Amino acid sequence: MVFSLGIKTRGEYAEEAAQQVIDAAIVRWQGTGLEAEVRNHKSGMARPYVYIKCPRNHWRAVAKWLRFEMGADHCSMITGIHWPDGPDDCKWEVVAHLMRMNVINPPERGGWTKQVIRDPKILQDDDVPMEFEVSISIPDTRNPSVQSVQEVWMGADWNEKETWDLVGIDFEGHENMRRVLQPHDTPVGFHPLQRQHKIRYHDFEVMYDDAQGFGRKAIDEGKTK
Amino acid sequence: MGPQHPMTHGLWTLKVKVDGETVVDTIPDLGYIHRGVEKICESRDFTKITTYCDRLCYASANTWSHSYIYAAEDLLEVEVPERAEYIRVIAVELQRIASHLMWLGAFCPDIGNLTAFVWCLREREMMLDLLQELGGSRMHYNFPRIGGVKRDLPIGFAMRARAKIKLFLDRIQETEQLLDESTVFLVRTQGVGYAKPEEMVNWGVTGPNVRAGGVNYDVRWAHPYSVYDQLDWDVSVERPSIKGADSYDRYRVRVDEMRQSALMCLDALNKIPGGAETHYSEGDPMIISKAKERAEEGKTGFHHFEDSRGESMFYMVGGGDQRGKHPYRISIRSPMFLTIPYASKCMIGYKVADIPAIMGSFDPCIGETDR
Repeated sequence: MVFSLGIKTRGEYAEEAAQQVIDAAIVRWQGTGLEAEVRNHKSGMARPYVYIKCPRNHWRAVAKWLRFEMGADHCSMITGIHWPDGPDDCKWEVVAHLMRMNVINPPERGGWTKQVIRDPKILQDDDVPMEFEVSISIPDTRNPSVQSVQEVWMGADWNEKETWDLVGIDFEGHENMRRVLQPHDTPVGFHPLQRQHKIRYHDFEVMYDDAQGFGRKAIDEGKTK
Repeated sequence: MGPQHPMTHGLWTLKVKVDGETVVDTIPDLGYIHRGVEKICESRDFTKITTYCDRLCYASANTWSHSYIYAAEDLLEVEVPERAEYIRVIAVELQRIASHLMWLGAFCPDIGNLTAFVWCLREREMMLDLLQELGGSRMHYNFPRIGGVKRDLPIGFAMRARAKIKLFLDRIQETEQLLDESTVFLVRTQGVGYAKPEEMVNWGVTGPNVRAGGVNYDVRWAHPYSVYDQLDWDVSVERPSIKGADSYDRYRVRVDEMRQSALMCLDALNKIPGGAETHYSEGDPMIISKAKERAEEGKTGFHHFEDSRGESMFYMVGGGDQRGKHPYRISIRSPMFLTIPYASKCMIGYKVADIPAIMGSFDPCIGETDR
């Protein structure tokens, strides 16, 4: 017989907090087509995270809601995926990973600051650190784009620049969009992580005979600079 | 400034607009060593990608390959034996010490203290020796495997590791004294580059830079992934001034973190199941478990990992070429990619001579930034 004494473990608190986010999302975004569920990491310790499938035209509103009401204060990564063989309503996908870190500026105490020290084992509800995964599908279009969340998180700025640079998904309302990882004089419309661009070794299983690839021609030879 | 400038710690350019001696505006220009790792990985087996991830950062190779491995295990749904997790913690924490020592060694000459450079590299050598015993190489180890680790702890490793870590704990105190009593170091780092934690997190800065701001947030603490919740350690936090964390706080927090990592290694050597002195041969189920080769379409895996510079992350989508043998898409979150823009904004209002002291204290690494 197990005596729990009413004390919950850390994992139970985390699951509870994740479920609270889901419940709030279902109430707040009723009728918009937003789907939310609790998922678990499949390796190691079972750690729940919140998965949200967000409709494309609501992304900025959902981002603001996550940031200011659900406390997701850290935009970890925004990335894009090109699905040329995918279903018609998902030829492109933008995936955002957010985190609730609950970081606050240390309060002032007598001209000096007081460190913010929290014990992870007793954090509850809104204070539990949480991972969010938001996926946005973009239908088949020549110019894929979603709303920019640059104004919600400053960190989204460079993430969006990178996604446009490498994948070619544009962000509406993003100021100062430019190449960040590729040279500034890269041809317009060239985004290397789109699936039509193959690297030189693509489809070669064995490459011992010509490991450097000098003898082969690039598939896109003559097409790029 | 750059691409060839002692301040840059790699190849990148910082365009600085000045008014006399004061910095008015800055624009960072990255991408000089963009190698397209994400694209290359799309046509490689899961096992072959570890090698590329090692090369993302030369100063902290082990943390990056582990970061990838955890995401791959999430995608392939692999359970890892506990002994392997302990060995991974030892490898990662030793690498964290080596990386922070490399940072300190590179930071001090920037601001006029050459002695510390030699001292730090001397101590880093001990850590590299230990990592060489584990992985077989000095810089790029290719140590973790999907489902476990490549090799078990070598015979006698625990004894040598304990001795070297104890020696390191003594010597880091010497280095600390050297720097804390050096007027040049104090004058150049104290009171420059103030940064507040809330602002940093909003910009995407994580890791030691945020902990220097007085907040005990750490991915190992918030989402304990390996056996970090079973080990005895504290998150190292600095106590900043009201204006925020300055360059000196960021130095202090890294020194403290090295000490915590060293203690964590000692603790892991004591707690490792099976004992640190036993040795299993390669491929033993105690150190590696069977893993699938293929990931089906529609599966994703991601893992937030505490790199020595902040939170790193791999996002992986299964179902690529060769019927799922290759990943469909890999996306890498580099902590420095977002920290460099922040650090560049952070130095506005200071003098041009303060740029190395501010930029260096954020620990830039261009290999991972440009990918």
